[in-house]
Amino acid sequence: MNNHLSEDQIAEWVLGTRDDFASRHLETCRACSVEVKELRSTISCFRDSIHAAAERDDSYWRKRQHAITEHASARDWYPLHWAWVAAMVMVLVAALFLTRTPSPLQNKATEDADKVLLQEVQGDLAREVPEALAPAVLIAEERNEILTNKEQTKSTLKKGVK
Amino acid sequence: MAQDEQAAVLIPVQQKAGLGMTALDDFTPLVQSHQRRIYRVLLGMVRDPDAAQNLTQECFLKAYQRRASFRGEANVGVWLLKIAVNLARDHRRSRLREFWLRFSSSSEEVEDLGQRLPDPHASQERVLVGREEVASVWSVVEKLSPQQREVFILRFVEEMSLEEIAAATSLKVGTVKTHLFRAVHAMRQRLKGGRSSE
Repeated sequence: MNNHLSEDQIAEWVLGTRDDFASRHLETCRACSVEVKELRSTISCFRDSIHAAAERDDSYWRKRQHAITEHASARDWYPLHWAWVAAMVMVLVAALFLTRTPSPLQNKATEDADKVLLQEVQGDLAREVPEALAPAVLIAEERNEILTNKEQTKSTLKKGVK
Repeated sequence: MAQDEQAAVLIPVQQKAGLGMTALDDFTPLVQSHQRRIYRVLLGMVRDPDAAQNLTQECFLKAYQRRASFRGEANVGVWLLKIAVNLARDHRRSRLREFWLRFSSSSEEVEDLGQRLPDPHASQERVLVGREEVASVWSVVEKLSPQQREVFILRFVEEMSLEEIAAATSLKVGTVKTHLFRAVHAMRQRLKGGRSSE
């Protein structure tokens, strides 16, 4: 029969949980007390080594603190900074659109188009009949001509009968 | 938790406006009182001084950015450790980063960390025995799972309570205890193995 502390009981003890049974046992059992002592010594050795490895002088910590607070205050400005950049870009784009001057080539093309349009307008105004009614005028003229021809033919025939 | 670490507090944003304080007014003392501890925990977790330094800075910058979400209910030290633990986890996941760090000449090796002893005036024999002991403990800690290592460092290096560890690691108290039991068992097995090989 195993009369020593179980693994869990030893772990509990090392983690700081105290119970009467384990306490009494460790007072009388040399094997268990040596094991617990060694375990605690190993763990404290590990703790000391990390503390020693992380040890730096005060100037190092002051520098790190300064760097951190500087970065933090810089990050405070990030949203404002980007808003300012966005506003400047918008102003620049607006200025580009507003101040854009057309090229000479574009100017000439615009002038030519204007002239053609003016001539077309003048031509339309000079017409007796609007352009849309021109076919109707032609039909009317043809009809008149036919009627005139008919009347002339009738009168010639009457003269012949007489 | 240390006295000076308790002294520095982060005042909630809503209260700060009423007190006419700027965002950095309470942040600077917070960095001053917590940076050593955050660095130490991160060094234990990532085992690389350069990475631990960068992550410590990132931890405080994240805390500064998220200060609006801190409502003053929890301990500010535990809140900072929670950010640090998450950063260490992200760092571990970044395999590429680890790959490049191996080639970084400025990085202090894990073995070098294990060589550090608190008492430089100890006898030569004590130094040698101590170094061996520290190196073997580091090798055991290195073999622990990431979560076991996290809780082991927080419990035995920072002497935090199970509840504080649970809050910092986002685990349940029972899970924290299980991880600690396994870590202690692993340590005990190593000691047994060491004794039998002697």
